Amino acid sequence: MLHLLKIDLKKMTNYRTFWVICGLYFLTLGFTTASGMEILKWLASKGAEFGASININRVPLYHFPDIWQNLIWISGLFKIVLAVMVVISITNEYQYRTLRQNVIDGMSRWEFLQSKILTNVLLSLVSVTMILVIALFTGFIYTPEIEWNYFFVGSEFFIAYFIEVFSFLSFALMLGVLIKRSGLTIVMLMLASMIEAIIKINIFRSGVEDQIGWLKQFFPLESITNLVPLPFARYALQEIQDYVALSAVAIAIGWTVLFNYFAYLKLKKSDI
Amino acid sequence: METVLSTDKLTKHFGKLCAVNQLDLEVKRGQVFGMLGPNGSGKTTTLGMLMGVVNPSAGSFSWFGEPATHHTRKKIGAVLEHPIFYPYLSGQKNLELNALIKGADPANIAKVLEIVELTARKDDKYQTYSLGMKQRLAIASALVSDPIILILDEPTNGLDPMGIAEIREIIKRIAADGKTIILASHLLDEVQKVCTHFAVLKRGNLMHIGPVDDVGKGEEIVEVQAYHDDLSILLQEFVGSASIKKENGLFEVMMKEGYHAKDLNRFLFDKGIVASHLHTRQKSLEKQFLEILADHKV
Repeated sequence: MLHLLKIDLKKMTNYRTFWVICGLYFLTLGFTTASGMEILKWLASKGAEFGASININRVPLYHFPDIWQNLIWISGLFKIVLAVMVVISITNEYQYRTLRQNVIDGMSRWEFLQSKILTNVLLSLVSVTMILVIALFTGFIYTPEIEWNYFFVGSEFFIAYFIEVFSFLSFALMLGVLIKRSGLTIVMLMLASMIEAIIKINIFRSGVEDQIGWLKQFFPLESITNLVPLPFARYALQEIQDYVALSAVAIAIGWTVLFNYFAYLKLKKSDI
Repeated sequence: METVLSTDKLTKHFGKLCAVNQLDLEVKRGQVFGMLGPNGSGKTTTLGMLMGVVNPSAGSFSWFGEPATHHTRKKIGAVLEHPIFYPYLSGQKNLELNALIKGADPANIAKVLEIVELTARKDDKYQTYSLGMKQRLAIASALVSDPIILILDEPTNGLDPMGIAEIREIIKRIAADGKTIILASHLLDEVQKVCTHFAVLKRGNLMHIGPVDDVGKGEEIVEVQAYHDDLSILLQEFVGSASIKKENGLFEVMMKEGYHAKDLNRFLFDKGIVASHLHTRQKSLEKQFLEILADHKV
């Protein structure tokens, strides 16, 4: 396993585009998640100019345990950047035909796919670790009084976040294997959510929504989104889902397995 | 001799097109095996199947007497069609990656770079290499795991005469080491110069298989030139001549079996004629190849 990861990392770590994209990803992800309070302060000062007062202390964005879900939901928005990197990595192998040479040199097709999947796992783990570190730092800075009893409430969102990123990267990898060309794959990746939304709108018309509306959660991209629900409505005094639903985890894991399996099937059958 | 490769009715269809049709091949250890055929005759498709990148439609093959897996491929060094490398990696890094995949000793890298004379350019990116250097790096990558068998597909494609000579030298050196080599080419001269055995493919069908040494056997052609007006008539009187053809001012005499140039020379001398040009030619592979292709209408 480690041997396969080493092979893929050797391809990637000497590739400048990889460092540029990953650098941009981790920088923007880090700065955005770490500077939420500053943004809030800036909003408050702008609001004050217009006579509206926002009491930022009433919005405990960075307080334990709210911070887990808050930061993780924001971080989820950035996974598309990492997915583009995954698409470039796999479509390069087709464009340069190096997939062919890798197999000629003695990799099985499954080993080749495994090496890509393992890199996806690694990228997901690095994302999770980074958000964990940022959440701990900013949480200790901004939380006025830490209540240890509630400290870990919602930390299961990290597991959900890992599945969210890994599942989306698996989706990107599958698209790359199916489409093979980088430009088209990236466009499809960008449009996928929209295409899924259009399909859902057409299936769940107002008449049937009540009876089969529950089917929506089984759609692949929706299942990824459902892992970490939007938390911010709670600051407008609305009820939110502040836990990870087991059904959402099960469905997302199911799709993740399928994404990678479809990629495997396609790879196995085609002449490369 | 130990059989390295054997195929059993290996077949590949691309839609309606039959690219390779029930191919039976056998390659033994130590052979330099040439695969000949016009473009599109199925050479690369065959090698693709043998190397696991093209799925056969029917039939089977075995390497070293066992059904092939990806582990067997690690013992084979192969370059199909044209060199394939990561353009953004240096030659050295590309070979390190090959070695990692093949489970080869990284210490071999310096050695194979030396063999193909790329040591000086090893740290430059692959995309800056000339075509000849790319071909040489491909041979280096095939050699990096010290394979038992080497597969080269058109290794001199697109090279200038000097590059062709260099690659040919490398192949001869490798063959002298006792490695088995399968060489696909449409350059007949190349195959005749380096191969011990050859097979001819046409539209996916096996037309001929046998040793290269057999090619020149049997018929001998002698070129003659002499200052005599009725030379062609005289030559027809010679008992050893099977047929006579005039080409570029020379007479080409196809000899009957058992007759050689010296017999013809003596005959002319007895007639009081001194030949100004006398040259024995063996049948070239090119000629044989064209005959094989013409004989079998497929």
